[in-house]
Amino acid sequence: MSNIRNTRSSRAQRSPHLTLSASEYKDGVRQADEILRDNDLIPLDENWQETVLHWFVTEDIERKALADYIEEHQEALGAAWAREMLRMEIFFQVNDHNIIVAHYDRTLSQYPRCIVLDMWVADHIFRHQGDFWRARPMYQDVQEHLPQHPKPYYEVGFMNHLLGDLPSALEQFNRAAKRIDGYDDDELAARVFYNRGVTRYALEKDRKGAITDLEKALEYKPNYPQAKKLLRGLSIRSWLPW
Amino acid sequence: MVKTRTTQYWIPTLEANEKLTKMLMENSLNSPYKDGRLSLAERFWATGNSAASLKTLPSNTARELKRYARKLLRPWPKGRYTPSYRRSGGILNIFTPPWGKQEDELWEAMLDEWRRQDFPNDTERQEARRALKQKWNHTPHPFFARLTPAQVMIGGGEQEAELTKEFTKKLNNQFSRRQFESEGQALVDTLTFLRAWAIAPGKDGQTPSEIIIAERTALLARREELIQQREASSQGE
Repeated sequence: MSNIRNTRSSRAQRSPHLTLSASEYKDGVRQADEILRDNDLIPLDENWQETVLHWFVTEDIERKALADYIEEHQEALGAAWAREMLRMEIFFQVNDHNIIVAHYDRTLSQYPRCIVLDMWVADHIFRHQGDFWRARPMYQDVQEHLPQHPKPYYEVGFMNHLLGDLPSALEQFNRAAKRIDGYDDDELAARVFYNRGVTRYALEKDRKGAITDLEKALEYKPNYPQAKKLLRGLSIRSWLPW
Repeated sequence: MVKTRTTQYWIPTLEANEKLTKMLMENSLNSPYKDGRLSLAERFWATGNSAASLKTLPSNTARELKRYARKLLRPWPKGRYTPSYRRSGGILNIFTPPWGKQEDELWEAMLDEWRRQDFPNDTERQEARRALKQKWNHTPHPFFARLTPAQVMIGGGEQEAELTKEFTKKLNNQFSRRQFESEGQALVDTLTFLRAWAIAPGKDGQTPSEIIIAERTALLARREELIQQREASSQGE
């Protein structure tokens, strides 16, 4: 795994654009295949399920959902699908937003819809392509199919905040906060509590509640400058320290 | 990223720039003249004559803007204010990626509730649907930064225009020299910055969001007043 994590190419830093030409896409796939070959990651008919489960997900909730998906769609998937998923994993690791969405649209969309994959691709559609209206129903589907997962609630909450709907944002952040204990992601937990604190204060002037949330955010992520700044501001009773 | 010709300010997307142009026209129609004459919109509400109101637009107004002004001065639909989907929504909404009926979760939820209800006959069923459309027109919408569709239809006024200048200047100072990883990131950061600005109280204790909503509400009341006066005078003739 460490080899793959060290293979960040210049692709992640290049100037992004929303659409990828066929040759750019092919080039990206070729580079991903080289990395997979260098790491002996070639899914075979006898081990494709285990290979994907081992490389693609780390969280229990997602692993179970992916395992259920594989079991349900065994016939339609297979080693070819596993190879596409591993290519996608490479694209996630180099964080190339455009090729992630291109690979999802051009290749993985030919297979039965996978909710775990949707959740991760939706981030790139939302935060990097700025296509809120495509990402939103994807997150809502994840809420429906993985109701115990905090991430889709956080993302819909954050989108509601960006759309200027604070009451719905707070509702979603509350739901995410309730689910955060069962999910091992300190970064996400910190964001959930930070955003809930900000929203609580903006909406309900709940200074005490906001301070508690910000302190909790800092427990999960001690190096969180925005949370520190806001907490300082709220503690000395000034508004908008950001 | 776009440096607009209209403002010379940094705007994150082309779509936002287009909405900004629409917003300036909406503000301009609602702005009263310094000599106390009625605004273009007021003149239209008072007379019902859009052609006469449009004649007072400066002669060098771009054709595209005149076309938009003509749309703004059309009578509003009797049912749902669906043209609000294509209005700018003002500074609180210009950066929101465009959306319409297909994305409208509020209307869909209201319709679902209506569909689930039992009505004694079709007349009452249709009457309830008409009432539902009016309810939608006046319900704070989650995708319009909690403005109602009616508040979006009316456009912004002078105070909102001033606040917009203040915000675009701040946005420019904050982001014009920053490199973004993607257009989506620029949009998300802009919206985050906007939402923080909109809820921060000014010197008088009011937030930009509160000022904007109050002004749009007052404009709606003024419209209602002038239309009623017109209708009363035409009945008296």
